[in-house]
Amino acid sequence: MEAFLDTIRRFRAVDGRRLTVAQSEATPFAAVDPGQLRVEVAAGASAQLAVVHTAAGAASLEIDLAEGARLALTEVFLAEAFAEVRVRQAAGSAFALVVVQTTSANGSWTVGLEGRDASCEADCLFLAAADEHCVVRLRTDHRVADCRSRSLVKGAAAGRAVGEFHGLVYVAPDAQRTDARQQSRNIVLGDAARIVAEPQLEIYADDVKCSHGATVGQIDDEAILYMRQRGLSEAQARRLRLEGFAGDVVSRCGIEPLREALDALVAAKLELF
Amino acid sequence: MLSVKNLHATVDGKEILRGIDLEVKPGEVHAIMGPNGSGKSTLASVLAGNEKFTVTDGSVEFLGRDLLSLSIEERARLGLFLGFQYPVEIPGVTMANFMKQAVNEQRLFRGEEPLTAAEFLRMMRERSAVVELDPKLTARAVNEGFSGGEKKKNEIFQMAMLAPRLAILDETDSGLDIDALRIVATGVTKLHTAENATVVITHYQRLLDYIVPDVVHVLYKGRIIHTGDKTLALKLEKEGYDWLINDCRE
Repeated sequence: MEAFLDTIRRFRAVDGRRLTVAQSEATPFAAVDPGQLRVEVAAGASAQLAVVHTAAGAASLEIDLAEGARLALTEVFLAEAFAEVRVRQAAGSAFALVVVQTTSANGSWTVGLEGRDASCEADCLFLAAADEHCVVRLRTDHRVADCRSRSLVKGAAAGRAVGEFHGLVYVAPDAQRTDARQQSRNIVLGDAARIVAEPQLEIYADDVKCSHGATVGQIDDEAILYMRQRGLSEAQARRLRLEGFAGDVVSRCGIEPLREALDALVAAKLELF
Repeated sequence: MLSVKNLHATVDGKEILRGIDLEVKPGEVHAIMGPNGSGKSTLASVLAGNEKFTVTDGSVEFLGRDLLSLSIEERARLGLFLGFQYPVEIPGVTMANFMKQAVNEQRLFRGEEPLTAAEFLRMMRERSAVVELDPKLTARAVNEGFSGGEKKKNEIFQMAMLAPRLAILDETDSGLDIDALRIVATGVTKLHTAENATVVITHYQRLLDYIVPDVVHVLYKGRIIHTGDKTLALKLEKEGYDWLINDCRE
């Protein structure tokens, strides 16, 4: 955890309960155990924010993106925190969310697409081992027309761990030409681990493109066999497969030093799988 | 190099191989032909060590070792390579990363130092040229989104990277157009030396225009019912298997 926090310390620390981004910022912001935080990104401005939970407790984030604003949020759970995040997006704004849970955690994200041509991308990963319990709730509200959302939630559970994904894409009656995609891919290792994946769609408009799907499976034996035939041990092959599985989400993190730290974090966690 | 004696194997209790005898020496190319369901792919899988199959009788010696007592990866590290009929897609694992681990694991087994990043990249560049594989594909996930031809080229690329003593190519020609077939087959020929051997499993004679076999075997109902030289493949192409199968019934 220390190495990870060293990376975070290189970013600009968020003090207090409010972060206002008036103009585009190249240096990422970082908030460690934020408690209550309100984030506002002004029209046309862009910013990157890392939120890290290092202690058990509750956190609440309110995020407002003004017209054309852009925010990349990477939220990492290193401790069993309960986090609730609400995002409101004005017209033409773009929100990119990456979530990584490497311990028991409970996170809930609600994204409101409230202005035309707003877009949201969410990539979430949980790795639950032993007795851990990870929860990801993701709600995307398409309130107006011409907005896009895409989400990918991936989870792996080993030991007696439990993972939960509850997803909802809501499309309001006037939100025509909505383009919403929601996917969940999960791997269960062993007989005692469990993953529940529930993606849902609630659509009240008629001219929309929406898709959702969820899979819960085991590591495919064919892939393991293939890698072993090239000389990798079974453990190496499984490890490589799981790293690849997790890498899909981690590679979406646009903050480069943070992405490298996440790779290391994930690799360390996979030692337990 | 490879000595198979009276090999019997079953899958789900059903006997597929019913007494295979096969001798392969260094420098040789063997072709195994035969109608669908005769056990060709099973033979390849059993030799590679696929645990889905159970060996019920017989022995296999490879480079002086009891092959059947070894795991899949031990066989691979000893120098046995299987070109898969249906190469597997592995999302999230890049070809480069996969090959780096495979090459270095095999080097470790031989007591050699792992390759440096620069050595490895140069090796990938050189070996991908053997099968005219677009070097960009090595940055992509293993076989993911590869065309049928690219997947088969990628098998031979991996063979070039691992430089096996014995390569068993299971229907490497299936699903290839004529240009891809030529490239893949020429690649296999380029990799051939006096020290290694190749066993080609195929339905079609056309592959053997490029990879000229020293010995051609016909497998039928789990047994090798006929062995000949390269002219046997031509005869089979013209006359089919019936004359052999009828012989076998008598």
